[in-house]
Amino acid sequence: MEENKKLMCNRCGVELEMHKAYFSYLDHSFNTEVQRCPSCGQVFIPESLAKGKMTQVEVSIEDK
Amino acid sequence: MEKVIRRTYSVCPVCGRRLDARIVVKNGATWLEKSCPEDGDFSVLIWKNKKSIFSWYGEAEELKEGESERCPSACAEGGLCPEHKNDTCCVVLEVTERCNLHCRYCFADKKNGPDIPFEELRREMAGFIVPGKTLVQLSGGEPTMRDDLPELVAAAKELGCKYVQLNSNGIRLAEDESYVKKLAEAGLSFVFMQFDGTDDEIYKILRGKALFAVKEKAIANCAKYNLGVTLVPTVVPGVNSAAVGDILRYGVKMSPAVRGVHFQPVAHLGRIPHLPRDESRFTLDELMLEIERQTDGLVGDGNLQPSKCDHPLCGFHGDFIVKQDGTLYPLTRKRDDAACCCCGAENPADKNREFVGRRWQRPEGDCCAPAATEDMQDMDYFLSRLSSHGFTVTSMAFQDAGNLDVERLRMCSLHVAKNGRLVPFCVNYLTLWKEPA
Repeated sequence: MEENKKLMCNRCGVELEMHKAYFSYLDHSFNTEVQRCPSCGQVFIPESLAKGKMTQVEVSIEDK
Repeated sequence: MEKVIRRTYSVCPVCGRRLDARIVVKNGATWLEKSCPEDGDFSVLIWKNKKSIFSWYGEAEELKEGESERCPSACAEGGLCPEHKNDTCCVVLEVTERCNLHCRYCFADKKNGPDIPFEELRREMAGFIVPGKTLVQLSGGEPTMRDDLPELVAAAKELGCKYVQLNSNGIRLAEDESYVKKLAEAGLSFVFMQFDGTDDEIYKILRGKALFAVKEKAIANCAKYNLGVTLVPTVVPGVNSAAVGDILRYGVKMSPAVRGVHFQPVAHLGRIPHLPRDESRFTLDELMLEIERQTDGLVGDGNLQPSKCDHPLCGFHGDFIVKQDGTLYPLTRKRDDAACCCCGAENPADKNREFVGRRWQRPEGDCCAPAATEDMQDMDYFLSRLSSHGFTVTSMAFQDAGNLDVERLRMCSLHVAKNGRLVPFCVNYLTLWKEPA
């Protein structure tokens, strides 16, 4: 699973850590655990999350 | 002071001929007006101005000169014409003329004729089913009068039907659990169940007998076999218009077995006890206001939005999640930045079909204990709760010979299968006015 791999931040050279990230879409706010660089704060969104749960959330709150 | 806000076409409710019609705001309400050279003038209440009809119309396309010239006679004779604006969302298939009730209002008004042969129904379904896509509503009469209904459900699934919905009064579903089991095993997706209130006096007036206990038993039996039930009240002013809050609260209490409430303000189609008068109409804006008022904020202003699958005046929808404390978490909110449905990204009929399919069909293995704490912002919890306890509040306002509006009709996405043709619902059941016996 790509989200379980240990990843390094390309800019800071440090290992990413799991961290709760917040997302907003159409007046709704959600959070989930993603890998984040402890130094610069950049987060890594794996394709499986973007195409999976995030898409499901988007579709569910879009007007039918 | 009166103002014509739209021009459209309708029919004479007596002789049926097509007429010019005007949508007129006057005396604090909105009316559809038309004149027949033989039968006189008609002015029919369509909106009580409890909410702005202008904002509710939104961007709905007005009828232009020369458009839909043969509507509604063309689709009555030959099915949907090339000028029809919407694809099919749901197909209604009448499977029997028999019924075990004789309701005061009935759009179908069947006369207990013989059942349509199984093979004939299979051929009809083969004609309209698009594999992996179609939603068929098995209707009647009362479809559960047929012992072979499970086989018919199985045939629909074999032909590739994605969703098979049963429209039922629930009597057999309450009395015959093994029948419910067979329907579930055959692949039935969900049940649309006639449900006019939680008070038997309502059923005695509208259905001729006390039925609330029957409805409860039917819901319980469907729950045993993981069949989602959507409650469908026919809302009649003075009979159960003050009960919409009770119905909604009951539906929410019965989640996840109950997946939503689909209100149908009474329409004067088929069997009607008397000629419609303005006071016998319950308009969509009035219904929305009563839902908000009678539920003390359970459903709030802006949580019910115009139908995008049909014309805005044909219905509304609201999408919710039932929270652990029994309140509703609204997903539908009024937004200025709402994605429009005309961008070509997705066909509105397809989008609506998938929406109702996701909400009304119960997920497999829907049995998990709720999380100790409820956090709707937690993406995993949100998705899981939405799947198990999604809840819709929807409405469809059918048109009759009085308020029929061609601008609305040409956007209809609910079609009745009829001898290889698809006919808009309100054309198929259109009933001209004559004094009922």
